[in-house]
Amino acid sequence: MAVYSWANYSDQELIESFGQATGIQAQVDTYDSNEVMLAKLQAGGGQNYSILFPSDYMVTQMVELEMLQPLDLTKLEGLDALMPQWQNPTYDPGNAHSVPATWGTTGFIYDPDRLGFEITGWEDLFANQDKLANKVTLINDVREVLGSVLKSQGDSLNATDLEQVEAAYEKLLAFKPAIANFITNGWEDQLASGDVLVAMAYSSDAQVLIAEQPNLVYVVPESGSSVWTDTIAIPKTAPNPEAAYAWINYFLNPENAVALVTRLRFATPNQATYDLLPADLQANRTLFPAPEILAKCEGIAPLPDAATQAYDQYWTQLTSA
Amino acid sequence: MRLPLRWQSSLTLILFLFMYFPIAVLGLYSFNASRYSSIWEGFSLRWYQQLLGDGRIFSALGTSLAVASLAVAISAVLGTLMAVGLAKYRFPGKGLYQGIAYLPLIVPDIAIAVATLVFLSAIGRTYFGIQLSLWTIIAAHIVFCLAYIALVVSSRLAGLNPHLEEAALDLGATPRQAFIQVLLPELLPGIVAGCLLAFVLSMDDLLISSFTAGNGANTLPMEIYSRVRTGMKPDINALSVLLILGSGMLAFVAEFWRAGGDSSGSLRSNRAQSK
Amino acid sequence: MPQPKPTTNIGPSSPVPNSSGPSSPPTPLPTGSGPGFPRSRRSLGLPGWNTGKRLIQPLILLGPAGLWLVVLLLLPTLLLLELSLIPGFRLGQPPGAYGLGNYVTLLDPLYLTVMGRSLTYALGTTALCLVLGFPVAYWIAILAPQRWRSLLLLGFILPLWTSSLLRAYAWITILRPSGVLNSILAGLHLPGQAWLNNTPAIFIGMTYSFLPYMVLILYASLEKLDRRMLEAAADLGAQPHQTFWKVTLPQSLPGIAAGSLLVFISALGDFVVPDLLGGSSSMTLSRLVYQQFLGATRNWGLGSSLSLLLIGAVGLAIALLLKWGNRDSDGSLL
Repeated sequence: MAVYSWANYSDQELIESFGQATGIQAQVDTYDSNEVMLAKLQAGGGQNYSILFPSDYMVTQMVELEMLQPLDLTKLEGLDALMPQWQNPTYDPGNAHSVPATWGTTGFIYDPDRLGFEITGWEDLFANQDKLANKVTLINDVREVLGSVLKSQGDSLNATDLEQVEAAYEKLLAFKPAIANFITNGWEDQLASGDVLVAMAYSSDAQVLIAEQPNLVYVVPESGSSVWTDTIAIPKTAPNPEAAYAWINYFLNPENAVALVTRLRFATPNQATYDLLPADLQANRTLFPAPEILAKCEGIAPLPDAATQAYDQYWTQLTSA
Repeated sequence: MRLPLRWQSSLTLILFLFMYFPIAVLGLYSFNASRYSSIWEGFSLRWYQQLLGDGRIFSALGTSLAVASLAVAISAVLGTLMAVGLAKYRFPGKGLYQGIAYLPLIVPDIAIAVATLVFLSAIGRTYFGIQLSLWTIIAAHIVFCLAYIALVVSSRLAGLNPHLEEAALDLGATPRQAFIQVLLPELLPGIVAGCLLAFVLSMDDLLISSFTAGNGANTLPMEIYSRVRTGMKPDINALSVLLILGSGMLAFVAEFWRAGGDSSGSLRSNRAQSK
Repeated sequence: MPQPKPTTNIGPSSPVPNSSGPSSPPTPLPTGSGPGFPRSRRSLGLPGWNTGKRLIQPLILLGPAGLWLVVLLLLPTLLLLELSLIPGFRLGQPPGAYGLGNYVTLLDPLYLTVMGRSLTYALGTTALCLVLGFPVAYWIAILAPQRWRSLLLLGFILPLWTSSLLRAYAWITILRPSGVLNSILAGLHLPGQAWLNNTPAIFIGMTYSFLPYMVLILYASLEKLDRRMLEAAADLGAQPHQTFWKVTLPQSLPGIAAGSLLVFISALGDFVVPDLLGGSSSMTLSRLVYQQFLGATRNWGLGSSLSLLLIGAVGLAIALLLKWGNRDSDGSLL
């Protein structure tokens, strides 16, 4: 059975133990962005894959494009153990096409002592811009960055009102002197050494660095930001759907998942798995933020073409201003 | 042989240092117990241990090496023939041919990657039953390897003594003999340089491989870029250091052995005499 | 190609039937005297012999590569051309009507700024590589002991065995304000530099990536330099710089042209270095193309037109260079 996945959601041990448990030999190919996966499948290049790991917004998009098989939920065991937020996610109502595998948030990571003030949201950054010249990195993704600022204005992460989007863009443009770069990875060293004071990052990346540098903290803006989910799904063209169900069930099984989650350290959306985790992982506020913060976060959803176009235009302007 | 001490030597030395500076940094931090280069937590072989236990990265390396070697080997033949042909003949549409030959250098990777995939699946699969596999990566890599090799060989061909091949023919050599025994040795440094270049490019290609790979054909850049999504891991640095050291030593030994075999630089010294 | 869907166009003309079609260089008739190899060609193409035999050689030389390029390069590129003529084309949506909308979009000053920046980066990198690469190639090809040459050459390109991504990360480690470089500078009591996330980092990163290309090509072209001519020039009392300008440089012009071309194009296409090292205002053409194909918009139409613009502009530059280069090398050859 062929799996098309991010490199870090499976490892050799998983493939071996899955093979032992089910007798199915899984073979994992990796991609480095949802769009690569989508484009490859759309162009007819992924006929052999039985399992994909699309992110939330990509699930919506692929369902619209009729590329994912509706799941036969009766074949899946342990769906009811999913955390409430993932029982009926907006990106895929009723988990009809996808099963959440891992999730995270987007926020700021910084060293409070070095920075000299606390960050609770974008306002703190904007207000202290003079102290931050070239000391902030933001994620290299238009929807994450603009979306997060939109949230701070009280708007939706998926705003389609172009005035709201422009307002967010203007704020970022004014903040530009503080922005050292738009990078999703590669800020770690600069932050740990103090060359960058604040980095906008995914919680999954942040917790890796915090594990080594406990003086760093990760905060989700009070106004909320994006919560993302990477899911497991079966493409329409899957040659081996039975094995695919076995794979999903293997992930849903708390005993199996707990070993994987502990080893690869990602946040599980499965309450039963969470309950089995070692105490230090359970208490990890970077991976598992407080419910009241999570309640304010939204998932990134696909936008109408006109809005997408506008976001793209603002992004190009922002990165070449 | 006396090493001529000129300013070129010093500059070359400095630039060699420049080229190896980042590699040294990578090498140094691959022994760091911490995963981040800004924190030195002491000497450790942790990343090397992790690397050696990592079957997937070695299988990706194997795939990349296979793709690069095959693509470069085929391109070396096709590219050299093409460069010679272009230098030799004038024909209607030559400008167009030349233009197409340069195209792989110009078309942005991502565009050609996407277009090739669409093309392969729309035409290749429908009409010829071509499935994406290791071979489709190789076929796509040949396109740009070919162009790079032809470019380097052409630059060597330009200004080559045109009478050499002619002389061979006058002396009764068949065109094939003249090509293999006279022209080819002349071109060898260009071919070698072109192959080196193409090999490096093929090993480092992410986009074209991503889109033309069939399942089971995961190349090293695909694996690396995907892993980086959750932060750099020094085990990949360790791999690069091992690769550079390994291939450097291999080349050194091969060259030493060749030089020791008394035929030191046989091709080139022969040629020098024949001039 | 406005009208045909590439499918209809390409279907029948794949590998086999194609060889008589556009793929094989159309009738490589050795007409007139080619400037490159005038006499050798005449002795090959015995006039009066049957044309079939005369065509075999050029076909062997140019056929296979030509076929490959047409099938796997020209046809996909024509596909791009078609996509670029559908405004706002996205995969998975029914294609709209043909039109020039994508190209009109490109006239937006925003995109012109991006193009200007890309050109600056690419030209600067090319100049740096040429200035730095020439002495190295010269040293390896002419001054270094012969038996070490291939090793030295290999040694110079070996660092590129590392993934370009890892190299960029290494440069972050070196160039960040408290990084390796500034530690060294501080040790030498020199002022620290804030190069990371700024233009100098781009030039450093790109020059690092493409310097070996330049050296390789220049080496291939310098290595054949007739050393006796250099010696003769010196014997005749020429100053080293005179020898350089009058003998070395003219003879290595094809190499300089090829190397500069290669570095320029590669620098134009690089998006890892500008992305990771260049800071928050480093949007380049190639990043833009990437963003259109694999970003949130997935506007393949715009992406294709950007690509074609790039192809057109660089193609034009090459055509001019070839024209100029051919005339020049003719002069030096005959």
